[in-house]
Amino acid sequence: MSKIRDRSIDIGTYCPQPDDQLIICRCEEITKGEIRQAIYDGMHTLTELRRFLRTGMGPCQGQSCSKIIQGILARELKISHLELEPAMSRAPMRPIEMSVLGNEVKGGE
Amino acid sequence: MADQADVVIIGSGVIGNATAYYLAKKGLSVIVIEKASDIGNGGSSRNGGGVRQSGRHPKELPLAIYGAQHLWPTLSEELGVDVEYYQEGNLRLGKTKEHLAVLADIVEKGKAGGLELDMVTGDQAREICPHLSDEVIGASWCPTDGHANPLMTTLAYYKKARQLGVRFITGEGVIAIKKVRGKAREVVTANNSYVGDTIILAAGFASRKIAASIGIDIPMIELVMEVLVTEEQPKMFYQMLGTAAADFYGHQSTHGSFVFGGSSGHEAYHRGDDITATTSMTAPCICRGIMKYFPQLADAKIVRTWAGAIDDCVDHIPVISHVEEVPGLILACGFSGHGFGIAPTVGLLISEMAAGEETTLDVSGFRYDRFKAKI
Amino acid sequence: MTFERAGAVMKRYDVIVVGAGPAGLTASIEAAKNGLKVVVFDENAKPGGQLFKQIHKFFGSKEHKAKMRGFKIGDELLKTASEVGVEVVLNATVIGIFPDKEVTVNIEDQLIHYKGDAIIVATGATENMVTFEGWTLPGVIGAGAAQTMMNLHSVKPGNKVLMLGSGNVGLVVSYQLLQAGCEVVAVIDAAPRIGGYGVHASKVTRCGVPFYLSHTIIKAEGDTRVTGVTVGEVDGNWQIIEGTQKYFEADTICLAVGLSPMSQLLKMAGCTMEQDPKKGGLVPVCNQYGETSISGIFVAGDVSGIEEASSAMIEGKISGIAAAYSLGYIDEESLVTKAKVLEASLRSLRQGMFAPENRGKILDKTEEGYDISMNLLKRGYLTEEEVESYPGVKSKKGIHPVIECSQNIPCNPCQDACSKKCILIGEKITSLPVVDKEATCTGCGMCVAACSGQSIFLVDESQEEGYTYITIPYEFLPLPKKGDIGLALNRSGSEVGQAEVVKVKTAKAYDHTHLLTIKVPTELGLKVRFFKQLQEVLV
Repeated sequence: MSKIRDRSIDIGTYCPQPDDQLIICRCEEITKGEIRQAIYDGMHTLTELRRFLRTGMGPCQGQSCSKIIQGILARELKISHLELEPAMSRAPMRPIEMSVLGNEVKGGE
Repeated sequence: MADQADVVIIGSGVIGNATAYYLAKKGLSVIVIEKASDIGNGGSSRNGGGVRQSGRHPKELPLAIYGAQHLWPTLSEELGVDVEYYQEGNLRLGKTKEHLAVLADIVEKGKAGGLELDMVTGDQAREICPHLSDEVIGASWCPTDGHANPLMTTLAYYKKARQLGVRFITGEGVIAIKKVRGKAREVVTANNSYVGDTIILAAGFASRKIAASIGIDIPMIELVMEVLVTEEQPKMFYQMLGTAAADFYGHQSTHGSFVFGGSSGHEAYHRGDDITATTSMTAPCICRGIMKYFPQLADAKIVRTWAGAIDDCVDHIPVISHVEEVPGLILACGFSGHGFGIAPTVGLLISEMAAGEETTLDVSGFRYDRFKAKI
Repeated sequence: MTFERAGAVMKRYDVIVVGAGPAGLTASIEAAKNGLKVVVFDENAKPGGQLFKQIHKFFGSKEHKAKMRGFKIGDELLKTASEVGVEVVLNATVIGIFPDKEVTVNIEDQLIHYKGDAIIVATGATENMVTFEGWTLPGVIGAGAAQTMMNLHSVKPGNKVLMLGSGNVGLVVSYQLLQAGCEVVAVIDAAPRIGGYGVHASKVTRCGVPFYLSHTIIKAEGDTRVTGVTVGEVDGNWQIIEGTQKYFEADTICLAVGLSPMSQLLKMAGCTMEQDPKKGGLVPVCNQYGETSISGIFVAGDVSGIEEASSAMIEGKISGIAAAYSLGYIDEESLVTKAKVLEASLRSLRQGMFAPENRGKILDKTEEGYDISMNLLKRGYLTEEEVESYPGVKSKKGIHPVIECSQNIPCNPCQDACSKKCILIGEKITSLPVVDKEATCTGCGMCVAACSGQSIFLVDESQEEGYTYITIPYEFLPLPKKGDIGLALNRSGSEVGQAEVVKVKTAKAYDHTHLLTIKVPTELGLKVRFFKQLQEVLV
């Protein structure tokens, strides 16, 4: 069940940090500062961050960065990372060419 | 903070969020209630991003034209977020004579509504978009159509409305709307209740069940469509694309990825287990559709697919309406798969309705009590 | 061209296994043995998952294939799989699991639809990343990636390597880097104590690798690739203590900061998931047999919680028989009987001070009541005084084993290795080995070679007046020759004198662990634990 969250909770105002320029999502080249800024803009879930910034939407689909982003979000919201729902996983599990995805065969033929 | 506001909106999709923003701009207090954990988790995050005027029902056309002329061009600036709006035209493609007949009908209706919309030949279409295959023999062309990023648009309205003081609450599924002394005033959830002078129901297909709690029914069904996205590609074109055969629709995004929606023909017959889960057959089907029009994309890799539901109204146009028998209730649902492009206009109109102002455009064609039996 | 709904005709297996690693292969074998028609899909070109990267000897007891090297276990599993009729399909990437247990697989240029009456997901894990300035520079790699380069492709990951992470992965890979001829400039960890087995740490330390606990990477230096690393000490709040910065010249930074279950396929399939930090992240909720919330979809191995290959293989067996039961190939009694044995075996692996329930706890005594060495946990070696306090170390005339095993870890091959009953562990495989002073050691060296932690040495003070002969396990090439003079290193890797090789013993039964006997002056007999060849010999 989803937890009730009031998006008007006060998490203070965005203050730059010295490591804001660190790249967190390598596939989409998104920095820690961009992620933190988006959190202050109201993106309080991993899914919203994905949709707003494209974090974890590149070829690796968040394999490398999702835990790190979960940590950043939890720290800014001052909650446990366990309270944050991981973003959804979707097919294809690995990037696949359109020509291959469209080339369906029924196993055994 | 009291759970009370001038307006309570059910649903944080692009319609709900746009409405919240325009209401906040007028100085009204607003609470938006969302069932999902994430803002805009329904169709608003799961569509192809078309901002079309062409192919619209005559009743919807004025809303689409108003948006393309007055709202979309300045939306990024107004909301402070790049919503990736491109007004580079829309090509609706045809490969057969039957397709051309469908397109001709669309062109005729559009022109009748005052839209700049023309039939072009296959070669003319290829001049506009050189990547099209030779299979394309004709297309409808509306140069003032376009597309935007639906995720960014939905979240941009959210961000701006939130900055203006709108209170958003996620994870709150609405059970019922209750009347108090003859007026819709209370929105009841599992754990809380929210009170508003006006209640706006903009919850997609879920609106049907919520409306039923106050004795109103909107005849709509849930259709499941899927969307896929490629990895980043070199910049190719910025037109919005659709086909007469409705095999797919979509565009290339600012990021470079192609976002294409489509279906397998089974969209009304899903088992209903989880409407956001993709099937094994739809994405391959969309790929085959795309490759016939854009053979160049055969090697583009798909990185992700997703599914979403369309709240398809029996006459395929939305309900945007006061409900006289339930004073204080405004319905905004049944957008039938083409709500995104008109969302800014609809948000503006509903905000006017809620504020008791005269609406910028006539909304009488979208009344909740328009549905009749066929004989 | 239209496509029929594939469901009507797609090929259906009793069980589809995703992943041909230790868990997937044992699951397949167990299912096939019970009569099920099994296919295994793996996206890699080679089967075995992580097993073929594991060149070290495994822990556990005989039933867990202890003292066998990982890749040998892999070979054995593949052979058995083929004997029992498991179809292993490689370069086969599972794209998704859909309703009705349909699996789509990409093989070559096709997308193939299959159905399974059961599915066993054994997709393993991926490496965690950690961010610091310069972490995206070429030269920053995962420890698993380093292993793949060295052990599968015979490519040296770098020349000077800094390892971040002192868990078993960090320790094992550090040792393998040394074996591959790399210099490991340091092993650092933000935690205040070494996370992996003490014996793994000790074998790295005695080669001269320094440990820096409570340290983290501040910056990977370099413009276009790693040229060095600046590290610093952290306080209780993980903040760098000003003035503690240290610089290491390095061309490679290896990250061994934990693994995460590769559970996306299960989430996509709609299984109920939970976040469990003890299991390494997002895992499916499952019952004792590894069945998820979706009936007929099972899991085994790291995807259901990070452990190691030995437990993955038992979990694989359990899910294999559970799938056989769910499809009516075996009865309930048979399931319960078999599962009981396997669960007991799994429990025996999950005991000791590294047991899941002890994670994060600071233990100061062994199960037997011996003090746990803080020196070992902080610096990676036992002091001479500490060594003598453990039951595996007894002074004795003539040749005898010295077992420097001081932690309760699940492992007992040394007990079986000694035909003379010099070494006793007993029923509980996590107990510390006890050397029986009364039994007669013949110096066969089987215990030295059998010890997966390389913590058994033979000491003999009776061979030559004024000298002690020390037999050490040795897994470096080229092998020294009899008569070679080299450096005698103590447990901390410091040079304490010279040593002469008096014997190099190689035997099939030692399984590539060579026994090097060196002689050192008697006063160094309890100090020297490693032999370093002189550089000119190696060039």
